[in-house]
Amino acid sequence: MSIHAIPAVGGAAWQAQLPTASKPVANSGGGSFADTLQNAMDSVNETQVGADDKLAELAAGQTPDLHGTMIALQEADITLRAMVSVRDKVVDAYQQVMNMQI
Amino acid sequence: MNLLDTFQISASGLSSQRVRLQTIASNMANARTTRTDEGGPYQRKLPVFETRQVNPFGDMLEQAMAEPVVTEIVEDDAQPVMVFDPSHPDADADGYVAYPDINLMEEMVDLMGTSRSFEANTKVVETTRQMATEALSIGR
Repeated sequence: MSIHAIPAVGGAAWQAQLPTASKPVANSGGGSFADTLQNAMDSVNETQVGADDKLAELAAGQTPDLHGTMIALQEADITLRAMVSVRDKVVDAYQQVMNMQI
Repeated sequence: MNLLDTFQISASGLSSQRVRLQTIASNMANARTTRTDEGGPYQRKLPVFETRQVNPFGDMLEQAMAEPVVTEIVEDDAQPVMVFDPSHPDADADGYVAYPDINLMEEMVDLMGTSRSFEANTKVVETTRQMATEALSIGR
């Protein structure tokens, strides 16, 4: 099923809430809604992987940077929450469109 | 300025306080050390803090933000304390031993300062996290 109709909602939401995410797609059909979601997910995933690496390094005793690891974990947590709350908004908008009376 | 950039400033603050803690540990542990590689008693170490721009390529506001880094560790040039102890192997011809001029009380106070600074920086991290979480709950 194609959901090209609502990138306008997605585009604006990403721009406002995820400044670290990749460039939002152009509103005039430059990319699909799924692509936008995928890009944002990728950038959140990068933060998660970065935090994981730091944690592994700390556990292996390769870095004495205890607070750096904790801060990376916090960053990962915040970006994930941002992604989730944007996702909630987008899914909400999608459902509103789907429930529209024709 | 990005909220997450604040983490970087606080992280640098925490790192520099950790270096400061290490110099204090070294000073306290070596308060009675009479032999070093350079010869003579241990010299008290002091960290030198310097600012570094967080984002030199950012806008004016971002360029104004600075994070602390420890650029070097200098040695206190205080004269050693001479203590009369002829039986000590490092005693000089007159029977005096040169001990480092380290005041344990002074180091303890410095240690407390380090602990408080570290605490303050972690508080900033905590508050930043709280602000980000609150921003995310807008309109929920």
